[in-house]
Amino acid sequence: MSITEVEFEAHGAEEAQLAAGPVEGRSQWQLTWRRLRRDWVSMIALTVIVIMIVLAIAAPAIAALTGHAVDTAYPVTGENEVGNPVGPGVNGFLLGTDSTGRDLLVRIFYGARISLFVGIVTTAIASVLGVSIGLIAGYFGGIVDAILARFTDAVLAFPYVVLALAIAVVFGPSLTIIMVLITFFSWAGIARIVRGQTLSIKEKEYIEAARSLGAGPFRIMFVDILPNLIAPVLVVATLYIPNAVVFESTLSYLGLGIQPPTPSWGNMLADAQNFYQVAWWYLVFPAAALLITTLAFNLLGDGIRDALDPRTERLVAARRMRKAQRQRRKAKRGSAGSAGSAAPGAGSLAAGAGQ
Amino acid sequence: MAPAADRDDNVLVRVENVVKYFPVKAGGFIRHTVGQVHAVDDVSLVVERGKTLGLVGETGSGKSTLARCVAGLIPVTSGKVFLDGTDITRLSRSAMRPLRRQVQMIFQDPYSSLNPRRRVGAIIGDPFSIHKTATGAERKRMVQELMERVGLNPEHFNRFPAEFSGGQRQRIGVARALALRPKLIICDEPVSALDVSIQAQVLNLLSDLQQEYGLSYLFIAHDLEVVRHVSDKVAVMYLGRIGEAAPADVLYTTPQHPYTVALLSAAPAADPDSAAARQRIILTGDVPSPIDPPAGCRFHPRCPKAQPICGVEEPPLVPHELRAGPAADGSPDAGASPTAADVPGGEAHVTACHFPVSPGESLVTAGAGAAGTAANGAGKGESA
Repeated sequence: MSITEVEFEAHGAEEAQLAAGPVEGRSQWQLTWRRLRRDWVSMIALTVIVIMIVLAIAAPAIAALTGHAVDTAYPVTGENEVGNPVGPGVNGFLLGTDSTGRDLLVRIFYGARISLFVGIVTTAIASVLGVSIGLIAGYFGGIVDAILARFTDAVLAFPYVVLALAIAVVFGPSLTIIMVLITFFSWAGIARIVRGQTLSIKEKEYIEAARSLGAGPFRIMFVDILPNLIAPVLVVATLYIPNAVVFESTLSYLGLGIQPPTPSWGNMLADAQNFYQVAWWYLVFPAAALLITTLAFNLLGDGIRDALDPRTERLVAARRMRKAQRQRRKAKRGSAGSAGSAAPGAGSLAAGAGQ
Repeated sequence: MAPAADRDDNVLVRVENVVKYFPVKAGGFIRHTVGQVHAVDDVSLVVERGKTLGLVGETGSGKSTLARCVAGLIPVTSGKVFLDGTDITRLSRSAMRPLRRQVQMIFQDPYSSLNPRRRVGAIIGDPFSIHKTATGAERKRMVQELMERVGLNPEHFNRFPAEFSGGQRQRIGVARALALRPKLIICDEPVSALDVSIQAQVLNLLSDLQQEYGLSYLFIAHDLEVVRHVSDKVAVMYLGRIGEAAPADVLYTTPQHPYTVALLSAAPAADPDSAAARQRIILTGDVPSPIDPPAGCRFHPRCPKAQPICGVEEPPLVPHELRAGPAADGSPDAGASPTAADVPGGEAHVTACHFPVSPGESLVTAGAGAAGTAANGAGKGESA
């Protein structure tokens, strides 16, 4: 009987909660975006990536602006009297020229087209493959898992540069071969992470609930489990894009990727190493483009990972509090001791520590 | 056996001799079975239409496993589960599909039973989309009706589970279970994760819905007071077996199995004065491993009334009247066989004990405590 008495009051409390009216649910993505927006490192990285993509898309426009076509050598303006590349700013070449007198700036942004295209497309395909294989392995388990998981491990254990070189030599270097190779070596890492996540998610009661409602395995995998995988896959994919970019550059650098005269950061670097003593810019600018791009993707990936983790909320809050304290202290110093009665608690404690 | 199920129109679910063993595997590379967890061992029971069968027992007694067998979520090792006269244990997935609508579950943990990445409207609407009974605007309307029915604000269908309290989340679970208008809802400890004040709300909601829709419940809990509050019939499980079953009032007033008596004495009473006066039976030892359950009566290593026979012969689950009582030589009367009406969940009071506790008998007198310990020791010696 005690149950019904308590019930009366408690019911009223919940009623009040319910009467709060329509509130749009704030999704996890909205929360993540809010946290990400406060992280200036991620925001700079994101800005860099966006600028890079825009410039890559606009590469023909840049070429038109400079008046220098991508594959055209300018022996008169682009080379000095002994036939070496001209430096940045000379004769209208903002970043100088390369070994045959082509505009380095234009070629770097054309190279960005290749690099970003390869990086993003291969990672996207690898994510779809990795998620599918990881989901199937993790969800079905048993013999399916044994085969798929061992295959994944085998791919991860491959000395990929050696295999990539062998295949590129056999089939001849081309953009398609590069992308197939990069995809082949990227999906396994994603599959392994997805498999692990699936193994833990499929034991949750809501999966059992779905099964008791009569949902089939594919509905459970793609409607119930997949939404829970997007966050970890997004983080991993962001970190795989720079890997793919570097991999493409590596292959091109070794002469087995993008073939000249098509510009790629990798084959530019390979050519540049013969000229670094007379044309530092030829080596530095493509390398910087590669570095900035990969760094930006890596930092953004880290930022997304932190933003997805609700625990970082506290770290951010702590940082904000420290900042507020610093400002208070500064303000106090400015008003030179006249604030004797101000700010009890944390503020005055901090001020005391500062003096 | 099908006719047995058809015999009684009052019976919605009939569980016959259900056994569920889980293999215990060992070895890293070549995995092999080294033993069996006897999660549910030869359990029979019935759930009557429009009634609630409470299933009590401590953690690991096999209640949840039994529930999942009844829901058809895990295959049984042997035995049959009849739902409306159809044995669901041998059905294919496609044949099972229409029957899934008849049996729904409410889960223990309102946090892990709702997908955190999906909106409440989608979660409650799942049954409709899986069974293709309603789509689009109609589904939304039905979802909102359900939300209103279980006491949620229908405007909140666009929210995520994380934005609700534990009690509200459990209401979402109730709405999802209710969506297909099932005949049986299996409640697997539906309130044990909730605050006491919220428990009552959810229990009252469940009983309102039972009256409104004529639902039957298989209600699993370890809280005896909760089970008493909601159940018409109660069955007590211990180590995969049913030890005692009876209509709720009968079981709580005149428990016969020593385990039931101990369980009831352990529950805190609302009135502390009577609690002070009451004698608590402290069971010694742990629940034995279900991988290697004790021979004879499964409770005998911990039973204060255990006699040598208890470790040898398993007591049948029969009404007290059918048992001639312990004979002079200590052998129980095993000749009488139970009738169909004596299945747990029915009207009869059945007990699986050689020496049932008679009303008024105390298991903890000063001397009996020591005797009980001695019996425990003896029991352990036998089972080892």
